[in-house]
Amino acid sequence: MISLSGVEKSFKDGAREIPVLRGVDLCVEEGEMAAILGPSGSGKSTLLHVAGGLDRDYRGEVSVAGKLLDRLGARELARLRNETIGFVFQSFNLLPGLSALENVMLPGMLRLDSEPPGAIRVRAMEALERVGLLPKAAARPARLSGGERQRVAIARALFARPRVLLADEPTGNLDASTGDEITRLFSEVASGGMAVLVVTHEERVSRAAGRVLYLREGRLS
Amino acid sequence: MSARGLVWIARARLRADRRGALLDAAAACVGGAALVLFLALGLGVSGAARRMFPADARLVEVIPPLVSLRGVLGGEKLDDRAVGRLAAIPGVSAAWPMLMLKVPVAAPQAPPGLAQSWPPGMTLQIPVLGVPQAMVADDVGGVRFEDPGPGGTIPVVLSRRLLEVYEKTIAPAWNLPRIPPGVSLVGLEMPVQIGLSIVPGKGEPEVTPARVRLIGLSDRVPMYVMAVPLGTARRLHAEYGKEGTYTKVALLASRPDDVPAVAAAVRRMGFDVDEGDRAAAERVGAVVAVTAGALVFLSVVMCVLAALAIARSLSASVAGRAREIAILQALGATPSDVRRVVLLEGGMIGLSGGVAGTFLALLISLALDAAAFSLLPDFPFRPETFFAFPPWLPFLGTAVPVLAALAGALAPAAAAARVEPARTLS
Repeated sequence: MISLSGVEKSFKDGAREIPVLRGVDLCVEEGEMAAILGPSGSGKSTLLHVAGGLDRDYRGEVSVAGKLLDRLGARELARLRNETIGFVFQSFNLLPGLSALENVMLPGMLRLDSEPPGAIRVRAMEALERVGLLPKAAARPARLSGGERQRVAIARALFARPRVLLADEPTGNLDASTGDEITRLFSEVASGGMAVLVVTHEERVSRAAGRVLYLREGRLS
Repeated sequence: MSARGLVWIARARLRADRRGALLDAAAACVGGAALVLFLALGLGVSGAARRMFPADARLVEVIPPLVSLRGVLGGEKLDDRAVGRLAAIPGVSAAWPMLMLKVPVAAPQAPPGLAQSWPPGMTLQIPVLGVPQAMVADDVGGVRFEDPGPGGTIPVVLSRRLLEVYEKTIAPAWNLPRIPPGVSLVGLEMPVQIGLSIVPGKGEPEVTPARVRLIGLSDRVPMYVMAVPLGTARRLHAEYGKEGTYTKVALLASRPDDVPAVAAAVRRMGFDVDEGDRAAAERVGAVVAVTAGALVFLSVVMCVLAALAIARSLSASVAGRAREIAILQALGATPSDVRRVVLLEGGMIGLSGGVAGTFLALLISLALDAAAFSLLPDFPFRPETFFAFPPWLPFLGTAVPVLAALAGALAPAAAAARVEPARTLS
């Protein structure tokens, strides 16, 4: 489902090139939850951005749901992110001006062939119900706790029923019990057939994963 | 992204930053209101000026030269031969000679039934001008405008503007009754004395009673004269032994564009062109056009300033929400979608500002009209409103702020499309 082959990525610091990924090979299948561990600055988020088509400046091959990302145009790549990939970020990345419900509706409204807003609203409410936040649908992110915000972000990621879920330090800003709750949610969606790739530096998250990989000096082991 | 999605996201964004959006819309509103108000004022005052000076754009009035050696020698007289030559000028479709009556005419008593309105002892001296039927044919509704012969009731035509001056100036000054609204004076008859003058020594030895009957009102008749058929003026001149050539000749050009060439040809023939009302109309029109133009320019400057304010505000907004833009891209928006969202935000701000500005201009115009009517005295040709709102004006008043806002949103939209999601979300 997610396949990275010989992926290399470096950042420029003036005239100097700093390699971050040095030939990464990775494959995450449907129904699998894989965790990538590594210290801060090891390139975990960069790997996730490359896998999710947010960063196109890399060498090597990346394919998601059978599509080679470097062969896709901007519009096709955007459609892939909208329909096939769900993102969950450490800092939740909810739009502060929108309510929880509107944040979840966003992927639906971004589709070119979007359903009527009423239908999108119903589906967004179902997604919120799934993460137990329907009573707070009208609340703005600022009025939600960290755990609630992350659950809204997960509802948004799952709204389009994606085949791939990419999570970047999803429990980094949460207390232990809330983090466990989120981790359980990821296990559930993986067992439902989704390919889940989580990058984290927390051992407790990796314990829920079927496979754990370590990113050290730009290489997975 | 679908159009529905675009509108939904843009609206949600504006709702989230309601204060900023309201400030931007207020800037667009002020620009749009100024544009609509000043244009409406210019159009309204222009219309009033046209009613005040209804100069026919095709009319050229020819008069004998004020100074001419050839005139002393017998040249440049406005006689029938000259009228024929003037009528033959290329671009002239009609030539109407006019003859100022040298026999004094006065009205020493009121028209029947209006004696109460006539100041006691008043005799009204009336300047009389003979004009051809063709000149006033459109204004007399098919009634014959011909000399009735000795003893007959003489048909007369008055200037439409004279009634307005009577209503607003003469009647209040002399404490005379106003003409009731809806009442037409056409058909009114009045006794006059031909040969009678209120100026000592200017009257004729023989004074003849006659009756005149108003058959129409015309903008082509000079304001302070009573127009009678040209045949009547000639007959009275013959009866009283007066001689003389025409006072002036009105030439009707085929098209307004022909007027300068016709006027030049008239001058080459040794005659003068009486600029009179035309010059006044052109001067007033020029003053109104320049003033309105300056105000419209000012309002366009205000729209440009509104565009700059919107550009500055949206630029700051885009810079401040780079992360949100990156999230939108992560969720499936293309750079083009992001650009369109920001442009749409600008368009919505401009639209709301433009609509509000148009209504504001309408309200201000009503308030200014009310203030003008309570503060200004009633003067001739005072319009019912100083503003004119043709149907296209609200559209223009809305479209210009929208375009200004879109122009202001161009640079922020381009900046938004350049946001790199991976770098911004790291």
